[in-house]
Amino acid sequence: MIDSAELISYLHGHGFTLASGVPCSYFKELFIELEKSDKINYVSATREDEAVGISCGYYLGGKQSFVIMQNSGLATIGDALTSLAQLYQIPLLLFVSYRGLEPDTDFPEHSIMGDVTEEILNAYNVPYEILYEQDWQDTINRAIEEMITNNEVVCILVEKGVLSE
Amino acid sequence: MRGEEVVAALKDSISDDVLIVSSNGNVSRQVFTFLPQPQIYLRGSMGLPMSIGLGLALAQPKKQVIIFTGDGNFLMGLSSLATIGNNLPSNLRLIILDNGSYATTGGQETVTSSLDYLKLLEGMGIKHFGSLNAIESPTKLSEAFEILLTGDQTAVLHIVVGDDVENLENIPWKPIEIKEKFLNKFG
Ligand SMILES: Cc1ncc(C[n+]2csc(CCOP(=O)(O)OP(=O)(O)O)c2C)c(N)n1
Repeated sequence: MIDSAELISYLHGHGFTLASGVPCSYFKELFIELEKSDKINYVSATREDEAVGISCGYYLGGKQSFVIMQNSGLATIGDALTSLAQLYQIPLLLFVSYRGLEPDTDFPEHSIMGDVTEEILNAYNVPYEILYEQDWQDTINRAIEEMITNNEVVCILVEKGVLSE
Repeated sequence: MRGEEVVAALKDSISDDVLIVSSNGNVSRQVFTFLPQPQIYLRGSMGLPMSIGLGLALAQPKKQVIIFTGDGNFLMGLSSLATIGNNLPSNLRLIILDNGSYATTGGQETVTSSLDYLKLLEGMGIKHFGSLNAIESPTKLSEAFEILLTGDQTAVLHIVVGDDVENLENIPWKPIEIKEKFLNKFG
């Protein structure tokens, strides 16, 4: 499991000072650490598209933030993504839980979105990578570099057990 | 007064330092046409001007941020009002230009007529300066605006405006230009 406090420090070291989002249990530890953090200000959003709006506004104020959401939220952010973040070429890092994979069968509400999560990201032209414990810094570095170089929205998919039990 | 007349009338009270977020459709065109440039002119993301303004206010706490939104945009992003009420950045101001309609798309009615804006704002814990009916009392506008700007807390001004709209020209800047010009304000 990746240490969430380390992840926060790492992102802060790369210039992130705010996060917004809607929780998913896959990020439980991360939210506990964000509560405690004086490096990253967490703004709880009511919806995922609102979190994208807050992050884009923060960027237009000259500062960098990231968004945390469940993959179900990918269905909510379509317009915020295409007619705001991507249209204005705003660099944005999304941490998206990858629910609906086996053995997530106890939660049927995630299975259909789980099946199409990567297809949705491809359809939106959002580059993505899956986060693994072994080389997480490399993955995040690549994502941040891509985000900054191309002024684009980049997604990191987080499976069960990677950031929380 | 119509929405664009209200926006135009505020011109002299808005300093170059103020940062503005304007909702998609007519409102952003009004702000582009009548107020100091550059500002954030939203082309899309209907419903998100409140959240974008909140993010901007958090990033630039020393500058005043004013959100200009139509009632259609406001209603679509209604839950962002709760988020604003939870954060209350002292530099944030919200102006709702309530023409009771989606004027940009042909004047279809919004659900605004059955809504008590002031009770809503009170319930969200947000300071407001009442409702100003700019159709009946246009002369009260500049004073109300002055009060809104001089306070030291998040505050909202709900302005009832006419629903007959003047067609303004489309914003000629590309979205990326809007972003770059706006970011240049911060060096
Ligand atoms: C998600 C979404 N749905 C619908 C539209 C079409 N649309 C563009 S502007 C607009 C009306 C906005 O209404 P309001 O904020 O009240 O401003 P007004 O047009 O009255 O000035 C609509 C419905 C859109 N751009 N995005």
